[in-house]
Amino acid sequence: MLSSAKHNKINHSAFSISSSSSSSSTTSASASSTSSSLGQNKSQVTMEEVWKEFNLGSLHYHRQVNIGHEPMLKNQNPNYSIFQDFLNMPLNNQQPPQPPSSSSIVTALYGSPLPLPPPATVLSLNSGVGFKFLDNTDSLVASNPNSFEESASFGCFAKKRGQFSDESRGDRRHKRMIKNRESAARSRARKQAYTNELELEIAHLQTENARLERQYEQLKMAEATQHQVNKTLQRSSTAPF
Amino acid sequence: MSISRGDPLVVGRVVGDVLDPFIRLVFLRVTYRQREVTNGLDLRPSQVLNKPMVEVGGDDLRNFYTLVMVDPDVPSPSNPHLREYLHWLVTDIPATTGTAFGNEMVCYESPRRPSGIHRMVLILFRQLGRQTVYAPGWRQQFNTREFAEMYNLGLPVAATYFNCQRENGCGGRRT
Repeated sequence: MLSSAKHNKINHSAFSISSSSSSSSTTSASASSTSSSLGQNKSQVTMEEVWKEFNLGSLHYHRQVNIGHEPMLKNQNPNYSIFQDFLNMPLNNQQPPQPPSSSSIVTALYGSPLPLPPPATVLSLNSGVGFKFLDNTDSLVASNPNSFEESASFGCFAKKRGQFSDESRGDRRHKRMIKNRESAARSRARKQAYTNELELEIAHLQTENARLERQYEQLKMAEATQHQVNKTLQRSSTAPF
Repeated sequence: MSISRGDPLVVGRVVGDVLDPFIRLVFLRVTYRQREVTNGLDLRPSQVLNKPMVEVGGDDLRNFYTLVMVDPDVPSPSNPHLREYLHWLVTDIPATTGTAFGNEMVCYESPRRPSGIHRMVLILFRQLGRQTVYAPGWRQQFNTREFAEMYNLGLPVAATYFNCQRENGCGGRRT
């Protein structure tokens, strides 16, 4: 039994691993967070389907799932040999109609929630979204062992299925969010810098003001004493006639 | 006096984007039409149309200074791929005088309709000798650090900056 929290965790780890090996993502952070947000949406859809499928009683596939599944849960690191074996299994079972069935999987993933064929259920149970994409890549490209290019394959699927807006909407939203965050940070820095400058200026002006006042007092005192001196010295110099 | 934490030049990321950390050694005052520039002051293009009055301190008349005015946020602060734009370059400024006594190698160009809020930074360097600094070929993609290294100017001895945005602008908001 998978709790949803664990399920999401697996999604995240799957994505971080696959996106690190992908060459076409712009930044690993943005790719993983974009796909993870998308993954969460997809996983919500597929989780419902998964529980539906459980009721339908496709147990033998679940058993197969567990073989590949448990290492994922424990280590959260795909053991490629086991993973590959797992992915190869559906291929072995359904070789002639492979392309149509994989395309049907894709339709099931992206289209309206249909009762999924067992392999799709297996996929969703196993890993959530990440492995689903990878599996589709594998089945379409005839089990290319190096086909963990998640974002590239995702792009192909999106275009093929006309769901282009889904991906770019999320991307654009994400980019906008980053830009907004940076802009907000700049705005805060600007405000803080000006505030600091004003505080420094206040401090400087206060000390200077104090200094000038003292100076003024001293000069005033000096002038006053000079006046007194002048009064007493009024008749100091007389010509000696 | 140099305050590293809370220094407006650091908080405003001028030290970082344009300059390396330095110590203020020389007095510098920039004045646009009776308004003295304090770090982070907000000025509009209409207020900075003409070159400001710049007063330089220092104690030895034999020292010469270079003043550089750059905009690191071109074409816009969120996408500064043309960083930096050289607005003004005055060299051979004798100590205790101002830019009026220097050699204006790159004439003053006022900021025009900036998009977003740009920082306009004025930096003062001490020259090793007279007539040792030359103008670059163009204003864009200027790099203050490289410029200083090329002409052996070392670290700045003074700097200040102000913010410039569109005349009717409210923050960095487009239109």
